Amino acid sequence: MTNREKYKQAFSVLHTSADFHLEVEKMNQRRKQIKFKKVIACVAACTVIIGSATAAYAADLGGIQRTVQLWIHGDQTEVTVHFDGSGNYTADYTDPDGNTQHIGGGGVAFNPDGSERPLTEEELLDEMNSPEAKYLDDGSVWVYWFDQKIDITDKFENGVCYVQLVNGEDTLYMTVKFKKGSATSPHRYLSPWEFN
Amino acid sequence: MNLPIETLVETYQNNLYAAAFHVCRNAQDAEDVVQDTFIQYLSKKQEFESEQHIRAWLIRVAINQAKNKTTSFFRRNSLPLEDYMQTLTFESEESSALFEAVMHLPEKYRIVIHLFYYEDYAVKEIAQILKLTENNVKVRLSRGRMLLRNTLKEVWEDDES
Repeated sequence: MTNREKYKQAFSVLHTSADFHLEVEKMNQRRKQIKFKKVIACVAACTVIIGSATAAYAADLGGIQRTVQLWIHGDQTEVTVHFDGSGNYTADYTDPDGNTQHIGGGGVAFNPDGSERPLTEEELLDEMNSPEAKYLDDGSVWVYWFDQKIDITDKFENGVCYVQLVNGEDTLYMTVKFKKGSATSPHRYLSPWEFN
Repeated sequence: MNLPIETLVETYQNNLYAAAFHVCRNAQDAEDVVQDTFIQYLSKKQEFESEQHIRAWLIRVAINQAKNKTTSFFRRNSLPLEDYMQTLTFESEESSALFEAVMHLPEKYRIVIHLFYYEDYAVKEIAQILKLTENNVKVRLSRGRMLLRNTLKEVWEDDES
């Protein structure tokens, strides 16, 4: 028997698990989920930039206003949130220095038939409570999720950092591209090319 | 040309799994890599010249994805290699010894050895897949073989130059 034949015989034991083929059917569905995240991230990024202007505009339009407790930068904070009914929110809160801060975001989800629908209030609140990567003036990089503050400054390799976040029974796998956005999944680390 | 994902999964899933396993040395990570590789194929919608071109592309992506896994900050709580080997049914003790010896080679030798002996790629093709020079591939192949010979003695014959 040649080395090649021995090698092939030895490694012929490596197979994907028996139910792997079932996963293939979920691949297109998973792609839609990825698209869903991407759209949220994109819209959120845009509206945060024009947050204060959007807040005034939304107030004129009516909609629903709620006061909720959210985790912002690791601190539980009372936030007044305005939902415009079209998948967008604006929110005001007072930061630890006493300054009023305006934030905003929104997005759409994709239905199974490919059509879009606005995010619901609950989905928007989930988004507001999702992990956030923050770049501080001293050059450090932190991930905030609920009461957790994780310093990831030295964890980047080739501009990408992978962080596993655990809160009670919930686990999230977060991929952070340095200053180029982040994405999370409860199932696995999303590859950097899959978002933004 | 492009081929349906079902065809590619059926044909290449185990090849990609084996390639990824050579980098990760972890079954679950390797399976995730296979999924990610096929998702990337679906997402890219790239045009290929031939099925061999698709195969080489899939293997290259799988290897790169697997390398990303191994350098990620948090890795899965992996089953130790020795424990995983207990779950495999080898045809002979020689096969088991060869498997273990390869898995203990440095990663840069492991993957070159795998592409040469398992995937039947020539040095030139391996160089293209791994984006290395042919000389670099030859050196890695030679050193990998030498380490296998030292470990396996008579099980690994000196039959390739």
